[in-house]
Order: sequence, then C-alpha cells, then structure tokens
Amino acid sequence: MKKKALALLMVTAMATSMLYGCGSSGSSSGSAAATDSAAATDSAAATDSAAASTATESGPSSEPVGNDAIKVWVADAVVDFTKEKCAEFQKENPDYANFKIIVEAVGEGDAASNMITDVEAGADIFGFAQDQIARLVKAGALETVNPDMLDAVKSENDEGAVKAATVGSEMYAYPMTSDNGYFLYYDKSVVTDPSSLEKIVEDCKNAGKNFYMEINSGWYQTAFFFGTGCQLTYDTDDTGAFTACNVDYASDKGLVALKEMIELAESGAFTNGSAVGEATNLGAIVDGTWDSSAAKELLGDNYACAKLPTFTGSDGQTYQMSGFGGFKLLGVKPQTDEKKLAACDALAYYLAGEEVQIARYDAVGWGPSNLKAQQSDAVKADEALTALAEQLVNTIPQGQYPDGYWQLGTSLGDSIISGEIKSSLSDEELMAKLQNFQDTCMTYAK
Amino acid sequence: MIDIPQVAYTAHAIPRRRDFTGHLIDKYLEEVYMASKEKSSGTQFGAIKEIGIAFKEGNFKTRISYLIMGLGQILRGQFVKGILFLLLEVGFISYMIAFGNSYLSKITTLGTVTTHKEGRITVYGDNSFLILLFGILTIIVILAFIFLWWLNIHDNYQSEQLLKEGRHIPTNRETLASLLDKNFDKTLLALPVTGIFLFTVLPIIFMVCVAFTNYDANHQAPTNLFTWVGLANFAQIFKIGGNGFGSTFFKVLAWTLVWAFFATFIDYFLGVAVAILINKKGIKFKKLWRTILVLTIAVPQFVSLLYIMKMFASDGLINGWLQKWGWISSPIPFWTDPMLAKITIIVVNIWVGIPYIMLIATGLLMNIPEDLYESARIDGATGWQMFRNITLPYMLFVTGPFLLTQFTNNLNNFNVIYLLTQGKPQSMALSNNAGHTDLLVTWLYKMTVTDTNYRMAAVIGIMVFIVTAVVSLVVYNMLPSVKDEEGFQ
Amino acid sequence: MKQKSYKRKQKISNGITYAVLILISIIWLFPFVGLVLQSFRSYDPKVEYGGMVNYLIPKHFSLDNYRFLFSGQTNFLKWYGNTLIIAFFVAIFQTIIVLCVSYALSRMRFKGRTFLMRFWLILGMFPGFLTMICLYFLLKQFGLTQAGAVPGLILVSVASSGMGYYVCKGYFDTIPKALDEAARIDGATRARIFFTITLPMSKPIIIYTALVAFMAPWCDYIFASYVAFGHDSSYNVAVAMTRWVWTNDYQGYFTRFCAGGVLVAVPVTILFMALQKYYVEGVTGGAVKG
Repeated sequence: MKKKALALLMVTAMATSMLYGCGSSGSSSGSAAATDSAAATDSAAATDSAAASTATESGPSSEPVGNDAIKVWVADAVVDFTKEKCAEFQKENPDYANFKIIVEAVGEGDAASNMITDVEAGADIFGFAQDQIARLVKAGALETVNPDMLDAVKSENDEGAVKAATVGSEMYAYPMTSDNGYFLYYDKSVVTDPSSLEKIVEDCKNAGKNFYMEINSGWYQTAFFFGTGCQLTYDTDDTGAFTACNVDYASDKGLVALKEMIELAESGAFTNGSAVGEATNLGAIVDGTWDSSAAKELLGDNYACAKLPTFTGSDGQTYQMSGFGGFKLLGVKPQTDEKKLAACDALAYYLAGEEVQIARYDAVGWGPSNLKAQQSDAVKADEALTALAEQLVNTIPQGQYPDGYWQLGTSLGDSIISGEIKSSLSDEELMAKLQNFQDTCMTYAK
Repeated sequence: MIDIPQVAYTAHAIPRRRDFTGHLIDKYLEEVYMASKEKSSGTQFGAIKEIGIAFKEGNFKTRISYLIMGLGQILRGQFVKGILFLLLEVGFISYMIAFGNSYLSKITTLGTVTTHKEGRITVYGDNSFLILLFGILTIIVILAFIFLWWLNIHDNYQSEQLLKEGRHIPTNRETLASLLDKNFDKTLLALPVTGIFLFTVLPIIFMVCVAFTNYDANHQAPTNLFTWVGLANFAQIFKIGGNGFGSTFFKVLAWTLVWAFFATFIDYFLGVAVAILINKKGIKFKKLWRTILVLTIAVPQFVSLLYIMKMFASDGLINGWLQKWGWISSPIPFWTDPMLAKITIIVVNIWVGIPYIMLIATGLLMNIPEDLYESARIDGATGWQMFRNITLPYMLFVTGPFLLTQFTNNLNNFNVIYLLTQGKPQSMALSNNAGHTDLLVTWLYKMTVTDTNYRMAAVIGIMVFIVTAVVSLVVYNMLPSVKDEEGFQ
Repeated sequence: MKQKSYKRKQKISNGITYAVLILISIIWLFPFVGLVLQSFRSYDPKVEYGGMVNYLIPKHFSLDNYRFLFSGQTNFLKWYGNTLIIAFFVAIFQTIIVLCVSYALSRMRFKGRTFLMRFWLILGMFPGFLTMICLYFLLKQFGLTQAGAVPGLILVSVASSGMGYYVCKGYFDTIPKALDEAARIDGATRARIFFTITLPMSKPIIIYTALVAFMAPWCDYIFASYVAFGHDSSYNVAVAMTRWVWTNDYQGYFTRFCAGGVLVAVPVTILFMALQKYYVEGVTGGAVKG
C-alpha cells in the first residue's frame, strides 16, 4: 500500500513537472517568440560565420543572416530604462528601425568576461566599468569610436572620461557615467565628525557599529596610497598591451599608506566590504553612488554623505584620502557588417548622449559624464553626487590597469586583513612586502 | 520519514563475500572467452597481415571492397551491412572534403591568417581554437575510418571463406536480429559510447593539447592566434622560489591533500558515530533523527551553503549574536583568517558530509550479527572495546573502496569550497590569484573563468589528474578487499 | 542488584544520547530555519530593511519576497521552469543510458569490456571544469548555447552519464544469472531478458538513478552560467539566483534569495523524502561496491 502511494507521488511529481515544462515552453514560444527566434537566428548566424571565417575563402560577399538584430547588455537596474530608450532611438532614426534590439541584464563585471569567453556570442553593445577596457581591447571585443563622432564624443564628455575610454592613442568606448568613484556614507547619529578617519573609526567603535571599507580591492586601496602621494599608472599601446608601469609604492610614502591600512584593519570597528546591502551593522561605509538609494533605505533620517576623510599618518602628517575617479563606458563590438556597425555606433552614441544621460540620472541616479548633463540642476542638487564631486577633486582619473593588478590588490588587502601583514612587523619587513608588490606590478607591463 | 530498508541489505551487502568468489569465476571465464575470441580474429599483427592475404587470395567481391566499402557485402546479398559501410565511406569522404581537410591542414600551425580590418569592418582570420578542436576530431575520425575499413575487409574475407566452405553467411534479417541478442551489447552501448566520446573524451584530449600551446588572455580566439609552445607551460610549475607559480602550486596541492584527508576521515568517523547513536537500543524516534540529518542532502547546496557563508560572515548572524551576548568584543574572522577559514570549511563540510555517511553506516551496522555483540558482552567487553574490535574493523573492511572514492571526490570538491570562500583569502605569498583555501580545482576554475589563462589551467588539470590517479593507485593497492574487478570501480 | 545498576546506567547513557541527538538536530536544522525565516522578512524599506541583517527573527513577517518572485518582475518562473525541464529530461534519459550501460557491462561479455571500464575510470579522474570552454564551443556548433542552452545542458548531462554506471551495475550483478540462463534456454533473446526479467526486478535502482539525476541540475550554476550567458530566459534557478548574492548589482536581494531558495528546496526535498528509501539503498549499495 505504502509502496503504491510512493509510486503515485513519484508519477504525479514527474507529471506535474512535465506539464509545467510544456506549459512554460509553450508560453515562451508564444509571447517571447519574437525575441527567442531572433536570438536563435543570431546565434545560428554566428556559428555560420565562425565556420566561414575559418575557411577564410568565403570572402566578404556573404551576408550573415543575424545582422538584423542588435544585442545590448546593461546592468539589471537599467534594463527597462534602456529598452525604452532603444525604442525612442528607433523612432527618431527610421533608418535603423528594422533592427531588432534585444536588451539583456548582464552585470558590468560579467559582461567583460563573457565577451572575452566568446566574442561572437557576446553583445553588440555593452556597458562595462573602465577597469576592463584594456583586457577587452586585447581580446578584440571593442571597436574604436566612429571617426565621424569622435570629436563630438571627446568634446561633450569630461576629460577623465575620455581618457578612460582611450587605450594607446585610440578611443574605444563611449563614456556613460563619471560617477565610478567612492566617498563616505555615514550614520549621522553615530559619526559626529566625518572629516577625520581616526574620529570616524572611534565613533563607530563607541557606538558598537562598524566602519566598512573594501581594502582588499585594488580600487579602494588607492585611497591610501594616492593619498600619501604614491603613484601607480600604466602605459598602453594601441592593441591594449601594457608597455610600462610607473610605480613608487616601495617608498616612505608607500610605507605610511600601508601602515595606515594596517592600523585601520586592526581597529576593532573595521569590516571589509563595500556593499550597503550586505552591511549589517553600519556606522560608516566607503562606497559609490550606485548604493545611494540602498544607503538611504538603510539609514533613513540619519543618512548623510561626505567626501573621504583625512588621516594622520605614522609620520605625524595629515593626508587627505584619495583614490580613483572612474567611469562607466559603453562599448561596441567589432562588426563584420557595415550597416549593422553604423547602427551600433549610432545607438551607442545615442545611449551615451546628453539627453539619455540626464534621463538615466533621473531614473536610477547614475552621475553623468556629459559636461552639459553635469550642469543640470537635478544633478547638482544630488547629495551623493555632490559628495562625490568634492572627493573627485582629490582623486586621479583612473587610467588603464592590467587585470593582474586588481588581483594583486586583493591579495595585498587579504594579507592585511588576515594579519599576515601586521603592525608588529618592522619597517624593513613592511618595505619588503611593498617592494614585492611593486615588482609584481612591474611584471604586468612587458 | 527515513526508513532504512533492512531487507535489502541482507540480500545485498552481506553476500558480498560470496560475490567476491563469484566475480573471480566471472573474471576467469571472461579471460578464457577473450582468449578464444582473439584466436579467431588473430593478433594485431595478424590484422595487418590479413589485409594483404585477403587482397592476394580474395575474389573480386572482396577486392572491390578495398576501394568501395560495402560493395562486396551488397553483392553477396548482405544489403544492411553493405549499405551501412557504403554510407560510412561516403560520409567520411564528404566530411573530409567539406570540413576535416581545412582544419587538419592547419593543425601544425593552428592558423596563420590574422584578423584584420577593411575600413571599419572586421574580417576574422583563422580561429586557432576551432582549428585545434576540429583538427583533433578529424584525426580521430580518420583513425576510426581506418578501423572500419579494416573491419569491412575482415568481414568480406570471412564471408568469402564461409561461402567457400559451403557454409551459410548471416542474412540481413539475421544481422538485424543479432543486434537484439548476440550483439545486444553493441545496441546498448552505441549511444552512450558516442556521447562519452564526443562530450568527454574529445574535450579532454583538446585540453591536454592546450597545455602545450600559448592559449591565454593575450592569445584569445577569434581575434588573436595561438600556437604550439612545447613544454614551456610545464616548466613554469617547476619555477620555484619567491612566490613564483611553482611554489604556489605546491602550497595549493598541500592544502588540497590536507583538506581531502580531513574532509574524508572526520566525516567518516563522526558519521559512523552518529549512526551508532541513532541505532542505539532504546532510542526512540529513529526515523525523525535521520530525516532531520538527511535534509542536508535534499536541499540544493547553492541555497544552503550560500546561506551558511553569510551566517559566518564577519558581520553575519553568528558574530552578531556572539557580540550581542558579550562573548567576544570583535568579530571572529571565520572567512578572512587563513587558518580559521580552513577550519571553518572543514567544520561546515562535516555538516554536509555526515548525513551521507550516517545513511550508509546505518545500513551496514544492521548487518553486523547481534550475537557477536552478545558474546562480547558476556565476556565483559565495554562499549568502546566492542566498537574497536567488532564495529570498526567490519566497517573499514566493507567501506574501504568507498573511503577511497570519497577521498578522490574530496580532492575535487568544488562546490563546498567555491560556495563558501571562492578560495579566499588571497595572499601576497601566493601568485596567480590563488587563495589560502583554494583547492587545485577551484584555482583551475578561476584561471579559466576569471583570468582566461587556459594554458596554465590545462597544466593544472593534468596535474590534478596525476595526483588523483597516483593517490587512487597507491591506496587501491593497499586495500585488502579489492582484488576483484568490482573494486576497480 | 546488578540488573538494576545496569538499567540505571542504560538510562543515563540514553539520556546523554538524546541530549546529543537534540543538539545535532538543532545544528543541522538551524540554517534551514534561518533561511525560511529570512524569506518571510519584508524588503520594503518602509517596513523593514531588506539587505543583510545580523538578527534571525524578522521584525515584520510578510510575503513580499514570494510576491516579488511570482510578480513577473524577474524571469523567476521561467528559470524555475527551465530547471524543471532540465531535471526532468536529464532524469529520464540519464536513467535509460545508465540502465543500458549497466546491463551491457554486467551481463554481456564482449571484447574490450574491461578496457572500456578502466578507460572510463581513468577519464573520471580529469577535472570537469577544464573542458567547459571546449564543451561550450562544441555546443555552439549545434546552436545549443544561449537561446538553446536548455537542450544543450540536457545533452551534455546525458551524453556523459554512461560513465556513472557503478551503482546500477553493482545492483544488476546481484540479480542471479540463473534467471537469465533459464530464459535463454527457453529461447529468449538478450533484449527480451533485459526488458522482461532484469528491468522489472530493478525498480529500486531505477528510481535511485532517476532521483539522483533529477536532483543534480538544481545545483548546476557553473556550467549552466557558462552555456547560457547573456540570455536571461535560458538561465536556471542556480545561475540566476547566485547572481543575487554574488554581484553588487543586486543590493538588498538577500531576502528574495532566501525565498527563492525555499521555493527551490521544497519540491526537491519532498520528492527526496518520498523516495529516500531507494536513495538509501542506492548509496549504501554503491558504497559497499566501492
């Protein structure tokens, strides 16, 4: 009897899943048929062209079928926004109205590695954070900015953004935001004086709260190193290869910065992290504009933000924390079809243009890179963006860095947090670590 | 509720001893069988010789099959076989012309035509990746074809001999029917073997080849070409000193072995202990206890382990409580301190692993004859003595091979490590993005996905294979109960 | 006298055992209780903050997270459906293939049998991740990536499943060969024996194989994300939901992750609990077989 009951359950479970399966695949072929079939032909075409390109003899005369669809990858938060804007774009430009535009949610981090895994299956237009640009150029995943638009793009965006999108002497992407920097969010009821790191940490400690900063990231670490006057930049050639590394971390300035990081890590209130959503006991956090709404939710009336604080180094001097001012970019992948390339160029230019940047700010609060958009009243009145703007004065625009650097930064940070690098080490020992770091940085540029 | 089907074990586990001899007989019979089969088809030398003899002595029908496969069979009325052979030849030739040839011819260089621009349009050149992949495939296809060609000749010649002797050759109907009887194994295995070849063997050969190329982030198809570099990648492993690749490799290897050891044996002994507790006489709700434990197996790990990861975070639930209760002043760095992270992983893995062992042990414990314990008790043995002298030896004997597979599985236990720490914390003392809790496999995974450093990942993969194989062989030969073929599985 | 002290000893030791078992139960259940409780925490900032928190019991219980998952704001139902489809077909095809291979290896004696078994054993020692990139491009040739990722994932799981024959073959080995021989004397073909004698006697192992195959795809986030990347509607639950925890794009999704996790866990758990008898039989048999 029991056995029969079990068998029955098994059968019903299987049957339900089958029914469900049929139902959902049926609905997909109904409602999402258009997108699915378009994507299918696209990928089929990609396969075709892959086969054709290896045979090489096929020549440029062949017309791949999938060239009537444009795939766009953006962060999940702006998917709906981007869909809307793409529709408007097609309305304004009837020339390109016959392209089927597919917008997918692919995070800025994933976008780059997915593009590199398989350029052919990747998006035609994709948003990414600038630290990936050299890698993408190297892997052949980025097309240069259309020469007809080059001057306009260069003059409309702020200087740092243009530099961020340039590898060697070529500009490879359309700047979309210039808010990829970090500053301080804090709880007004906890932190009394946000201008000094020591005070903030002390306030947090007294209130039993944490001070969050992601010091195991090569991106946030520079707040200390650049703050004490160190430099770390790379030179690139046009292919995205790194040719030289300018670094002086293994110096007295570097030592002060390292000691400050150790001191912070060893203070009881420190917690590694840079995501408001994952901070459970937040007194203050070093974070960017993308978290402003989350921070407002969490802190409610006690929400406040400010530029990064100063710290008193081991040599007794006071330093202003610095860091990177970074940018989000929109890239176009190399195309084999002229018409599609023109459409992609136009769409990318549109999506990164003044009007859309302002609209994007209104929709999701991303700070514009467009000079005119930066002057709009709403942008100027934004608390978080104001704090960022104040901080950006103290930062250097982020240039190109090899992937290895970011990994190395994580290793350095993890070593500090785990206590491998600790305050009880002598200056010589610490200097040896910095020398090691510096030497490894140099190896990435050949 | 968990319900241990006791009957199944008496039918299934204890007679293992009898099976043991049974399989030896099996094995002997198999060898005899193979030997007799080999005699009829000749040795491998014989196969080549047969090609010559068959051509010299064979009639027209046999000879024509050298050129047009299957024609001999068709002429003898064996249409099914004949047409199959013919189709194979046609298929092979068209494959080579349309597809295989272009890849095969480039496999020595992996492509020379670079990607270039015509105006702003990109024209892709050779794709080294596909050349390597399909080049390998083509070589295998050619080898398979040669084998089939030989099979075709062999079949023709045999039919001819049979006819000469005035005997009967299989008709079409008989050939087809044999697929459900004498040759049923071919029917059953055709699809699985093809599947394994295409989706396991071919990719493995491919990745082994990648270890001898410079395929990495700077040589990424389709835009850039990659090519053969010989043993250069392997040389990196032995670049020891400082924090070079080699020393990191051996550090990661050491932790992999340590982890596999602890993860296997701690889980094993604790699992057996829990099973004994639940099985203890006079303990009620046995099913309930088992059900609670088994929940761990049922719930997908990406849900449960990610939750546990957050639980132990430095500002997570556990630290939050400990701080609230005033037990600690600053959070315990469960995931950020290298040593503590390793311990935490092993502890969480106990949570994952015990239920499996408990299930297995429960079934086996029920098989130990009660009178053994009874007589021991009369002799005045304590519980611990009984455990040491009866339970443990029995368990170890029966589950020896299982422990070995557990160990090799743990060497490659990706999920637990990756879902909990992703190999972190990283360190300045380790190179190439490796972390303190990285196993060789998780490190390999990061290399392929994060760094797209396929060449070094392939080298690591080969090393993982060697480590697993060596460990398996050594331990396997030490096990007393595995001399028969079953143990080899 | 002696009897009494023995009984008392027994009582004490049972008491300790109960205490240990209760402690174990608490530890083992704790993460699940936490998961379920978090899934009922609201993410609406007006009610309660939705990100990570360091307390267990929500201040306000609500169904917000579940409502979110079913609301269509994400493709959750689609992901869930994909996973069900994959799990269902993998369970069916994998079982068929495993049965075929096991029968051939257990009952038939043919040239290359031992070679095949050893070869597969050796293949199993290569780490699977290595071949992901290669499998990806193979599937791409058939158009089974991105939009076609669901059938692609089924194909890959099923294609290599023949290598997992150990447990099933071990079970077949214990079915007396005398039965086969009797049938053969009566003139039954191998295929007939397989279908009419072996299969009907193998219900436990069939269910075990299907159950294990059905459960595996629910946790496949590595290869699935590799094959489906950039195509949201071909994701499975694991791929889609690990993003909520691992990527900063999804701040404050933690409670939604928990709710999704509960929805994933419930059916699999029920199925598992209903069929665990067979599962136990399978793992135990497999362990003893080694």
